Amino acid sequence: MANFFPRWSNFLPIKLFICACVLGGVLTGLVWYYFTPKYTRVGYRPIQPVPFPHSLHVTQLGMDCRYCHSFVEVAAHSNVPNTQTCMNCHSQVQKDNPKLLPVRQSWTSGQPVEWVQIHKTPDYAYFNHSVHVNRGISCYSCHGQINHMDVVGEKQPLSMSWCLSCHREPEAHLRPEAQVFNLDWTPPAGQNQKDIGLALKKQWNVNPPENCAGCHR
Amino acid sequence: MKTIFHHPPEPEGGKKYWRSLDELAGTPEFRTLLEREFPQGAAEFNDDGLSRRNFLKLMGASTALAGLGLSGCHRPEMHLVPFTKSAEWAIPGKPLFYATSMPGRRGALPLIVTTHDGRPTKVDGNPMHPVTQGASDVFAQASILNLYDPDRSRAFLNSGQVSDSDHFSASLDKIAANLAANGGAGLAFLVEHDNSPTRERLRGEVLKKFPNAAWCVYDPLVNDELARVLEAGGARNAPRIEKADVILALDCDFLGCDEGDVETSRAFAVRRSPEQKTVNRLYVVENRYTLTGGVADHRLRCPASQIGAFALALAREIGRLTGNGGLDPFGGAREPSVNTNFVAGWVEKTAQDLVAHKGRGLVMAGSRQPAAVHLLVQSINAALGNEAVAAMPVATKPGITIGELARNITDKKVNTLFILGGNPVYNAPADLEWAALQKSLPVVIRVGMYEDETSAGCNWHVPAAHYLEAWHDGLASDGSYLSGQPMILPLFGGWSDSDILARLAGLPKPAGPELIQETFRARARATGGDFAAAWNKFLHDGFLENSAPAPKPAAGVADGGAYIRDNANLPTLSGEDAFEVVFISSASVDDGRYANNSWLQELPDPVTKLTWDNAALISPATARKLGIESKSFGQKDFPVVEVSVGNSKIEIAALIAPGHADHSISIPLGYGRKVTGWVGAGAGVDAYPLRTSATPYFAVGAKVRVTGGSYPLALTQDHHTMEGRALVREGTISHYREKPDFAKTMWMDAENAVRNPSLYSHPPMNGLNQWGMVIDLNKCTGCNACVVACQAENNIPIVGKEQVINGREMHWIRNDRYFASWDSLDDDPEMVMEPMLCQHCENAPCETVCPVNATVHSDEGLNVMAYNRCIGTRYCSNNCPFKVRRFNFFDYQQRPVAAQDVPFFGKVSGLKLGPLTEKGSPDTLKMQKNPNVTVRMRGIMEKCTFCVQRIEEAKIAQRVKARDSDKVRVPADVFQVACQQACPAEAIVFGDILPDSGSKVSRLRQDPRGYTLLDYLNVNSRITYLAKIRNPNMEMPGADKVATFDAAQEEKPKG
Repeated sequence: MANFFPRWSNFLPIKLFICACVLGGVLTGLVWYYFTPKYTRVGYRPIQPVPFPHSLHVTQLGMDCRYCHSFVEVAAHSNVPNTQTCMNCHSQVQKDNPKLLPVRQSWTSGQPVEWVQIHKTPDYAYFNHSVHVNRGISCYSCHGQINHMDVVGEKQPLSMSWCLSCHREPEAHLRPEAQVFNLDWTPPAGQNQKDIGLALKKQWNVNPPENCAGCHR
Repeated sequence: MKTIFHHPPEPEGGKKYWRSLDELAGTPEFRTLLEREFPQGAAEFNDDGLSRRNFLKLMGASTALAGLGLSGCHRPEMHLVPFTKSAEWAIPGKPLFYATSMPGRRGALPLIVTTHDGRPTKVDGNPMHPVTQGASDVFAQASILNLYDPDRSRAFLNSGQVSDSDHFSASLDKIAANLAANGGAGLAFLVEHDNSPTRERLRGEVLKKFPNAAWCVYDPLVNDELARVLEAGGARNAPRIEKADVILALDCDFLGCDEGDVETSRAFAVRRSPEQKTVNRLYVVENRYTLTGGVADHRLRCPASQIGAFALALAREIGRLTGNGGLDPFGGAREPSVNTNFVAGWVEKTAQDLVAHKGRGLVMAGSRQPAAVHLLVQSINAALGNEAVAAMPVATKPGITIGELARNITDKKVNTLFILGGNPVYNAPADLEWAALQKSLPVVIRVGMYEDETSAGCNWHVPAAHYLEAWHDGLASDGSYLSGQPMILPLFGGWSDSDILARLAGLPKPAGPELIQETFRARARATGGDFAAAWNKFLHDGFLENSAPAPKPAAGVADGGAYIRDNANLPTLSGEDAFEVVFISSASVDDGRYANNSWLQELPDPVTKLTWDNAALISPATARKLGIESKSFGQKDFPVVEVSVGNSKIEIAALIAPGHADHSISIPLGYGRKVTGWVGAGAGVDAYPLRTSATPYFAVGAKVRVTGGSYPLALTQDHHTMEGRALVREGTISHYREKPDFAKTMWMDAENAVRNPSLYSHPPMNGLNQWGMVIDLNKCTGCNACVVACQAENNIPIVGKEQVINGREMHWIRNDRYFASWDSLDDDPEMVMEPMLCQHCENAPCETVCPVNATVHSDEGLNVMAYNRCIGTRYCSNNCPFKVRRFNFFDYQQRPVAAQDVPFFGKVSGLKLGPLTEKGSPDTLKMQKNPNVTVRMRGIMEKCTFCVQRIEEAKIAQRVKARDSDKVRVPADVFQVACQQACPAEAIVFGDILPDSGSKVSRLRQDPRGYTLLDYLNVNSRITYLAKIRNPNMEMPGADKVATFDAAQEEKPKG
C-alpha cells in the first residue's frame, strides 16, 4: 500500500505547533499591552516644568480645587491656572524660590508655562467636566486623591469601558453636592456609598447617557 | 426561502416627478446608476493614470517608508498651555458670540459670529434683528471660509515687489500731498457697492480735501440705469411682499440669491402657509427656472428681452380693464413687439387677477430689466393703488458710472486711481477694455482680498481686510443701522476701505472703532443718553434700535411715460436662429468674488445642480434644434457650444435646463477666473467678454454654434436617487381645504396600503427628550443656505470636481430638485424642492446591517454614528432608502484636493496620492473647524447627526442648571440645529417631538399636511414633511395641471 499521506505532511504538526505558538504569543502580547494599565498609562507621572505639590496647596494650605481650576463648574475643560493665578500669591510668598523660576519668567516674558498633560481622553471623546461636578461626581472619581499627591499621576485608566462602568452604575460614585470638591469624603458612619448613591440618583433624576452620542460627536 | 420585497406599484399615468431628463426618459445609463449604491466609478479605483497595479506599487513604497520611521509607537507628550494673563470673557473651550454685519449688495446682513478661543468658526443671522430674525444666506454662511482662505493676498506689493504697510503708508501720504496741491484733480476712486454710512462720511471728507476727485461705484450685478432714473429723487420703491395677496414677478428672482435676500424670503414665506385665510399667489415671468419660478403658482417662460413687451401688454390690458388709458405710454400706437406670442390668455387672466385684487397686488421687475420696464411696473402699481410698495430713502449718493470713468481715463483726466475692492479687469464691461485703460494710468493703487487679474500691473497692491477683520458698519435692507466689529485681527495685515480713505483724508489709520464711533455718535444723538452705554448696546445688539426709517408711500414717477417712450427698447427675437444671451448671477460665486471659496464651488446650483462650473443653459427645444439633445444624456460629458455676440465669442458647455425659454441662453457670470487660487482655477468659462456697457444683462442677436467638442460637468442631480417613490407631495389650496390630510394617503401610502412589520426588536426609546424635525415644503425655496450652514457647522469636507462626478460629494443635507410634468415633451414642468437628510428612522435599515454596531439608535431617537467603530463596509449606505449616508473615500480633510504634478504619472489628484503627498490642511483652514465635531478620516461613513453636538451641549447646560434638582429635561426650543438656524423661510423646525414638551415641532407634527417618507416601508422616520400647497388661479391657462397629481385624485375629495 502506497503512502496515504504525502511526505511533506510529516512536518505538518510541527509547523502547526509553531504557528499556534506564534499566534498565541502575539495574542498574549496584545492583551498584555492593550488590556492592562500599561496601555492606558495608569501611573503616568511626567516631570512638570514646575514641581507643583498639590498636597501642600490643598491639604496643608486648604485651598479649594476651584481656586486654580476656576472654570471646572461651567466649562467642558477644567482649565489649568494661568500664570496670573500663580502670581497672585507667589508675587509675595516664596518669591525667590528657584523652583518657581519658570513661573516668574512666564510672568515677565508673557510666554505661558507649558504644563505636561497627564489626563487625556481621545479627541473624538467629548468629556465635559461641568456636567459631572455639578451633578454629584467628585474630582476624586476620576483623578483619585490628588490632594495628597506631591507629583500628580494618572489614577484611573480613562478608557471607554471604565467610563461606561460608571455611566451604567452612577450610584457607586454619586455624593452630596457639598462634598464634590472634598476629596477626603467618605460616606458617614452607618451609611454606605451605594445607598447614598441610589437615593441621590432617584432624587436628582440622574440618567447618564450610555449611547454613543453621549460622548462621540 | 428568500422573499423579495415588492414595492407597491407606482400609479400608472398621471404626473411624473423627475430630477433629470435621463430619469424621465428612463435611459439605460440612468437605470444602471439607479441600481448601484454609488455612481459608476465611485466605488472603484480605476480611473486616470492610477491603475490598481500602480496603486499597489505606490502603497508598497509608502508602507516601506512608514516602516523605516517606526516613530508612532509612543504616546506623544502633550502640553497644556494656559494664558499668562486672563483674557476677559474667555473661558477655555466655551464659544463666545459677537454681533456684526456682512456688507451686501441689497443691504448689510446682521450676523452673530461664533468664536472659539478667538477664532471665528461660524456665521449666523442675528436673531435679535427684527427683519432677518436670525436667518442668513448662502454667502454669509460661506464667507467664513474666505476669511481663512490660504490663497488670500498676504503681502503689500509695490509694482510686484514685496513691501510692507509702513512703506505703503509713506507712499500714500506722498501721493496725498501731491494731489492736495491742485484739489485732487486727476484723482479717482473705483469702489464696490456698500451702503456703509462711515464710508459715505469718509467719502465726504476725502472729497472735501480733494474736491476735484471722481467717485465711481461699480458692481457688475447692479444696474446703474435703475439708480440713475428711479432713485433720482433720493428714494427708491421697495416691495413690501408680506402685504401682497397677488404678486407678479417679471424676471425678478426675489427668493433666490440673485435679487432676493433674507428679508424678501421671510416676507414671502409668512404669507404662504395655507392655514391663513388669504394665501398669497405668485405669478412669475422669466427666461430660466429660478427659485422664485419654482415656488410660483403660475409661471410663463419668456425670453428676458421680451419681458418689456410683456409688461407693455399687461399695462395695456390693465388700462383697458380699469378704463385708465394713461397706463399705455404709447397710447396703443406701438405694438409691444412682433413676437408677443405669450401663452394665450396669460396676459389677460393675470391682468384680471391683479385688477380683482386692486390695492393688494404687487408687480415687481428684476434689476436685470431696463428702467423703462420698471417705470411701466411702477405705473401699474400706482394705477391699481397697490399698497405693497413703499418708498425707502437711498443711503448713498450715486457716483459716476464705470463708463464715465473710462471716458475720463481715455481723455487723460485721471492720473491716480484707487481701486477699493472689486475686480474691474475681470468684470468690467468688455467694450471698455479696462485692462488697457488701467495700464495707461501712471498711478493705480488697489486694495483687494486676492492677488487677481486687477492686481497685475498696479503700483500698489494692498491686501484687504475681510469684513470679520475690520471695524465697519452698514445699513440693513430695512435701513436700520448695523454695527460691524472685527472678530480677529487681520490675519495677513490687511487694510479696509475706511483705513485707506481715512489716511487720504489726513486722519491717522484707525487703531480701533474711532471712525465708526464718530458716525454712530451722529446717528445715535437723537436717542440721547450716555454715549458709552449706547455704544456698548449697539455693539452687543448688532444694530441701533428703531433706526430703520419708516416706509413712506411709494412715490409716483412724473415723467415716466416720456422716459419709456424715449428709451423703451423692445427688441425682437424673430426667426429660427434668433437668440438672446442672458447674463445671470451665479448662485455659487456671485459675480466671481467667491470663485476661490470651495464650499460655494461645490455647492450644487439650486436649480441645475451643477457644481464647479457654469454652463450655457438652453431649453430642450433649443437643444433639439441644435441637434445636441441626445448628447447631454449620460453622466459627465456635455456638448460644447460657441456663443457669440458681435465680435466676441466664448466656448462653453451646454446644459439642457427644463423650463428654460426658447431662443434664450442663460450663462452665469463669475467663472473662468484667470488669476485666482487653486479652487477657482479652471472652474467654468468667463462670460464677461460677451457683456458690454450697452448690453450689461442680456444681449439679443447672439449666435450659437455646436463645436463638436465635449466638456465634463459635475452634476449632482442624479446622485443619490430614490426611484421616484412619491417622496415629494403637493396639492392645491382648494384640494387642501377639502381634505387637509391628502398627503398622508397619496401614492404608495394609499389608505389600504400594508406596512411591513419589523423583524427586529429595538432598544426602547425612553429618553427624556425625543428629537425630531418638520420640514415645510411649502416654505422651502431650495436656496441651499441649510447646506452650507451644515457644512460649516459639521466640518464637512469638499471633494473636488473629479470626485463629484464620481458621486462622492459629502453634503449631509441636499436639496432634491424635482421637476413635475404630465408627459416627457412638456416644456413647462413645475419645480419642487425637497431638502433631504438623514431621516433618523426609528426602524433604521442602516442599523440592522452594520456588522460592527457603528450606527445604532440612541434612547432619544437619534440614529447615531460612532466614527471610531466604523470599518467602512458601506453596507449601511447600501441599505439606506434615502441615500443620505456619505463615505470618506479619501482623506478629504488631510490631503490636498487639487491635482499635483507627479513624475511619470502627470497630474494626479492629491487625494489619490495618499501618503505620497503632504499631510494636513493649511493652518488657516484648521482654524475654521468646529472643535465640537470630530474631523472624519478616510474609510469612515458619516451622515446628518441632527447636530448632536448642539443637542449634547443643551443637555449638559440643562443638567448643570439642574444641579441637585431633578429638572434635567431640556426645555422646548432652547437651541436650534444649524440648518434650521440658517433657513430664511423657517421651513425647517427641530426639537422635542413629545406632545407634552410644548415645542414648535411637536405642534407642527400634528399639521394635517404632514407625511413621512416611505411610510409603507415602516421605517418610521423622525422627519415629517408638510406637503406643498399651491394657490393657482383656476382661470389661468394650464391651471388644471398645477400641483395636481392625477384626475382621480382630483375628483376623490369632491365626491
